[in-house]
Amino acid sequence: MSGAILSTSALIAGYERDLPIVRGIDFAVHPGELVAILGPNGAGKSTFVKAIAGTVPTFSGRVMLGGEEITATPLHQRIRAGLAFVPQTENIFASLTVAENLQLAADILPKQLRAARIAKMHKTFPDLASRLNQRAGSLSGGQRQMLAVARALMVEPHVLILDEPSAGLSPKVVASVFAMLREINRSGVSIVLVEQNVKAALAVADRGAILVEGLLRHEGTADELSNDAELGALYLGRHTARSHAS
Amino acid sequence: MIAQTLVDGLISGSMIGLGAIGITLTYSILRFANFAHGDMLSWGAYFAFAVAGALGTFMPGLNESIGPFSFGWSLPLALIASIILTGVLALLIDKILFARLRARGSAAIILVMAGFGAALTIRSLLEFIFTSKPRYFTDALQITQPLIAGARATPDQLLSLGLAVVLVIGVHLILTRTAAGRAMRAVSENQALAGLAGIDVARTIRLVWVFGAGLAAVAGVMSGVLVQIRPFMGHDLLLPLFAAAILGGIGSVPGAMVAGLIVGLSEALCVQFVGAEWRAAVSFLILVAILLLRPQGLFGRSAT
Repeated sequence: MSGAILSTSALIAGYERDLPIVRGIDFAVHPGELVAILGPNGAGKSTFVKAIAGTVPTFSGRVMLGGEEITATPLHQRIRAGLAFVPQTENIFASLTVAENLQLAADILPKQLRAARIAKMHKTFPDLASRLNQRAGSLSGGQRQMLAVARALMVEPHVLILDEPSAGLSPKVVASVFAMLREINRSGVSIVLVEQNVKAALAVADRGAILVEGLLRHEGTADELSNDAELGALYLGRHTARSHAS
Repeated sequence: MIAQTLVDGLISGSMIGLGAIGITLTYSILRFANFAHGDMLSWGAYFAFAVAGALGTFMPGLNESIGPFSFGWSLPLALIASIILTGVLALLIDKILFARLRARGSAAIILVMAGFGAALTIRSLLEFIFTSKPRYFTDALQITQPLIAGARATPDQLLSLGLAVVLVIGVHLILTRTAAGRAMRAVSENQALAGLAGIDVARTIRLVWVFGAGLAAVAGVMSGVLVQIRPFMGHDLLLPLFAAAILGGIGSVPGAMVAGLIVGLSEALCVQFVGAEWRAAVSFLILVAILLLRPQGLFGRSAT
């Protein structure tokens, strides 16, 4: 795990101590990487990243961010330490305006940084900049996702974790969201992406990790996972010629 | 006659509105109806009564009336102390009771019942310390001043109305223009997401308690100045306070004040045209009507 910007070791987490969903995962993300977390439904992908972010209880194991242990760090302090998380649903403040959503995220920054950081987000997300006074709840699915990402990026995180950012979006919007993530990744932000859309995720990811029943079953580069027909058939819902034949 | 009724209604309504702001804030952010809020109002009045009494005893000059008002500088100073002390009391109750229940993930009904228990406890404590004998900030008599259309009001009453308007505008500006206010609104909408936005949710909840209790203290002190101080003064206001909070729309500060004024005016008109014995029924009727016809209240928004 040395040199990792984010890592977990023997992480056990879930909603009930007697019934953990994440059952001992060793995982690492290196600076600048975009890693896709894949796996079948119910594999514990979302619970795993929620445990890293701090919204799901961790029962044992460790979460490290930039060499510092954050396993017991309160949620808001993890964000301030440089770990941003965009949940799958309810990831914006619907009753606040777009401007207020951004300002809210800027409020935790030192005063001298706030205006510049907001201006940067306006430049990065021009579609949002033209809707500053619009109530966030009235945005389209893609715009909501952009706002959620913009809010998360406001603190210039070391690691950005996204839980199924393509959920509920049209294919065209999914393509633009993934292109946006690639751009953010190129700017130096490490990204952890939980996705059901395997093809789209592996198209932008450097690496993939496959979770099954709360355990990390396989890791590899995006190319390896894309081309491994057996893995695809076993864990990722892809059908091979052999499986079709049988 | 009608003008006087309207003035009386606006003055009592402004106090209801101030108290309702605290209820609407705690309700929208902590997600439960805090029935101890009325007793915060009583405690606010008694805190100020005790501090003003002590100041007046040690510095008699502070008891001399300020201009046309019935009270001296001891009362504004005592009001500041009361806001702080009532805020501390609210934090204490939260720490001892509500925070523990929240940590256990208790259902809202458990919190409501705990609120009833807290209300009963602190009200009894108040009675134990100060007895149930009515108290007064001052025994000075005030002459009403002519306003418009034959209506009259005392300088104290006009001050209460003005103070309520200033506080509502101030609270509204804090909620919409400051980082603390945005944090409160964010926590109100989604606590988990607020944490993910870097907001210290526990600190924000503490701030809400202090805010609500401080406003209750002001309402209690001004009610005490205009009428009298009794251990049950806050409890008796509970129904109008909840009627105003729900009528205004949970979470809406201007809504709570406007609704407070509506409740106050309705009560005054009821006393004038129906009979004083029906006064308490007015809030109940407003509460039932709004719950049936527009549950989100006048200024409330249904969630998107």
